Amino acid sequence: MTRILFAVAAIMMAAGITTASAQTVGFADAIKILSVSCGKDIEAHCKNANLGNNEIGQCLEQNQSKISAQCNADRVRVTALIQERLAAQAAAPKLCDRDAQQYCKLVKPGAGHVLRCLLKAQPSVSNKCNEAIDLAGYR
Amino acid sequence: MRKTLSLAVFGAATFAMTAMGTAQTELSRNQIINSLQGAQTKVEISADELRRQAIEHINKYPGDNSTEVLPLSAKLAQLRQFNVEVTFDFDSARIKPESYETIGLMADALHTPYLMGQLFFVVGHTDAKGKREYNLELSQRRAEAIREALVTTFRVPPETLEAVGLGEEQLRDPANPDAEVNRRVQLINVGYP
Repeated sequence: MTRILFAVAAIMMAAGITTASAQTVGFADAIKILSVSCGKDIEAHCKNANLGNNEIGQCLEQNQSKISAQCNADRVRVTALIQERLAAQAAAPKLCDRDAQQYCKLVKPGAGHVLRCLLKAQPSVSNKCNEAIDLAGYR
Repeated sequence: MRKTLSLAVFGAATFAMTAMGTAQTELSRNQIINSLQGAQTKVEISADELRRQAIEHINKYPGDNSTEVLPLSAKLAQLRQFNVEVTFDFDSARIKPESYETIGLMADALHTPYLMGQLFFVVGHTDAKGKREYNLELSQRRAEAIREALVTTFRVPPETLEAVGLGEEQLRDPANPDAEVNRRVQLINVGYP
């Protein structure tokens, strides 16, 4: 188990993904871990499964005794990474609400106008909101 | 123990290299955002109409290859859009693992406030090899597979995505109908619904 964790950590560090403790990764970076770690297993055991509807996830789970240790560790990790980014994006508007009221009052909401304003106002914006923007991958 | 570790390190090294390569040459989330943002408030174009036109097009101008352009082509060309390449299994809508990252990048872009709330068409195209009806059907299934992955795996709101297959009815390079450049997936911003 420790070995698996170490391997995951090594990959994450090499990709420069998680250096700080509180960070999330984008969907492309997350799913790329799956294709790198599980690509061969997917092609060998999941020829009838597609990326959507968790078909690949289910197939890898059903074949967990046949797939590589790396893939077994990462398939779980990738799902968690996607969830973390989704949660961070869902939380961001609320965490930045006060800052948006304060610094972007005259900005018309929609099309990313408020976000653009908050990014420009970064030095004044609260740590809470700046961190929320980072975690959501919006910078 | 030693063997496992060195394998892990080797894996990490190759992964880092591909990650760097991506940053420099291949597409990025911001490229997609920049090409797609700035849509008009409302575009009068429906996915159903587009699908219907493709079928009518085959009936109206039968033959090995289409010689005419789709009636909606000019209108589509005016919209904010971006082309990506997604690889599938032969004769199948199964997305190959090497293309997962591309689908992830589309999700990264669609999840930003810059593109939220707008409607997008995922339009699949084939080259002109093979029968037109078959290509139309295959491209529709492939566009649907991409939409499905975006909507389920990456939780892009389903009401913001429509899948359309145009087969070989709207070639990117009509002078070279069998060329690889014709095989593509367009992401088109159809504006605020």
